[in-house]
Amino acid sequence: MSEPLLVLDNVTKNYGAIEALKGISFSIGRGEVVALLGDNGAGKSTLVKIISGGLEPTSGRMLFEGKEFLARSPAEAKAAGIETVYQDLSLCTNVDVVANFFMGREITRKVLGIPVLDERAMEAVVEKALASAGTRIPSLRTNVEHLSGGQRQAIELNRFVHWGGKLVLLDEPFAALGVEQTRRGLDMIRQVASQGIGVVIITHIMQQAFQVADRIVVIRQGVVAGDVARNKTSPDAVINMITGETLAGAGPAG
Amino acid sequence: MNPRTRHGLEFVLDNLVWFMLLFVLVVFSIFIPNYFQLGIFANIIEASSVLGVMSIGLALVIIAGHMDLSVESVAALSAMAVGILFCSSGIGLGVQLHPEWLMVPVSLLLALAVGGLIGAFNGYLVVRVKMSAFIITLASYIWVRGLVLVISGGRSAQDLAPAIRWFGIQRLAGLPLTAWIAIACFVVFSLIMAKTPFGRHLVMIGGNETATFRAGIRVNRNLIIAFVLAGAIAGLAGWLLAIRTSGATANLGVGLLFNAFAAVVIGGVSLKGGVGTLPGVYAGVLLLSAINTAINLMGLPANFTQVIHGLLVLAAVLLDAFKQTIRQRLA
Repeated sequence: MSEPLLVLDNVTKNYGAIEALKGISFSIGRGEVVALLGDNGAGKSTLVKIISGGLEPTSGRMLFEGKEFLARSPAEAKAAGIETVYQDLSLCTNVDVVANFFMGREITRKVLGIPVLDERAMEAVVEKALASAGTRIPSLRTNVEHLSGGQRQAIELNRFVHWGGKLVLLDEPFAALGVEQTRRGLDMIRQVASQGIGVVIITHIMQQAFQVADRIVVIRQGVVAGDVARNKTSPDAVINMITGETLAGAGPAG
Repeated sequence: MNPRTRHGLEFVLDNLVWFMLLFVLVVFSIFIPNYFQLGIFANIIEASSVLGVMSIGLALVIIAGHMDLSVESVAALSAMAVGILFCSSGIGLGVQLHPEWLMVPVSLLLALAVGGLIGAFNGYLVVRVKMSAFIITLASYIWVRGLVLVISGGRSAQDLAPAIRWFGIQRLAGLPLTAWIAIACFVVFSLIMAKTPFGRHLVMIGGNETATFRAGIRVNRNLIIAFVLAGAIAGLAGWLLAIRTSGATANLGVGLLFNAFAAVVIGGVSLKGGVGTLPGVYAGVLLLSAINTAINLMGLPANFTQVIHGLLVLAAVLLDAFKQTIRQRLA
């Protein structure tokens, strides 16, 4: 593989005396899907927040596209091309679907030099994006508070597919989805990766990880307990890495 | 339920306060002699201009999920600053500028700057130092009013310069220019809230601040701007107040805060943030004004107004809860 997209080098995070991350090192390539697995409290979400600008690491460094990288805010991470879908949904339920889809990136046109929201253009884009993903939402103008959990998650997923970027972080994106929607979600991930975008997906469901990932990284108690190519391991081996019974099959891939 | 009745019902819910206003006006016109006159309606609009302008600023901050209790005192301080400089008797210094019209932009800028500065101070403490907006602006409510007392020595300024006073006297289509200024403010800020990214972001910040931060919206910057705007708009309200009373007294505008709150809540703005529109707030302001006028015309003691306003706020909050239940059924 050529130069990796994102390299984490001994990243740590302390909350007071508690070491949430004790030194994480791994890398993600372009167009690669990495499944990040680990038990509750292993530090997966903390790691995602550090990459996406929600938290600053205590020590360690990151290289993004070969350059030193540290996002001090989600806006900086976004500007660098990192999109994140969080576990607790990041939607404003008090506004409609279109407003949520474009949150912070609204299409505007100038009227007398003042930026004015171009609602019609935005609605057309959302309609197209949702239709191509096969998501049905009765009206794009209904407030999100009136939509079901699955519909809300679908909006988030379609949002990252649409905006793309260079690296996508998904923190348990399928928690509220049905069987059919999950299958479509996994397809979306492969489709995004085939465009050369790196994907990190956190999941608890082994089957999903093996369906979609190229590589599986296991985190246990704040360190990388395993980093293996999918086709060189098995669900049982991964479960052992997660629970820490053995370290069989551990070690960097390739 | 077929889509048409549903649409109709949603329209009524969204604009409930306008229907209430219409209902109240019709009832008063039928049952109170002399209520149904153009002059009375003009008076309702005229009497609500100061309160209306102040409510805009308050509503902006509440929609963004915060609170500004200082607007009343800020208006009083701005009015006092204008009064001291441009009044000719009392504690007024009677500053004269030539040409005379120059006093208008200067006094207006002064009022806006005083308000904007206090707004920036509030905003900085709330956003950067992360203190509760309720406490910070409560403190400002007290110290700014104290400052009014200090700089005026408890006395008043009278006889505002005629060039500024002109805005309260000159009429256009039956309304003084001050009322038109209030209406223009509502139009401009309604458009900002509904049509620009800034307004959209404020509403979303009020709905889910974490989500907007993660989406890369500059939450802190937007919130500070909202506080500065609320302060500057309160300053404008103070300028209008000084014109209306042709001067300033140390206790000018006492009690306006609670009326502004009432108007904002009646107008459909949720204190939880993220919900409400400025046209609704204007209807709330007009509703309060219409009721005041009715109390005056019926010859009831003015002391009743406060009781009625309190009950109205209570009714508005209950109505809000009721609206929520209906909406949930609709969804």
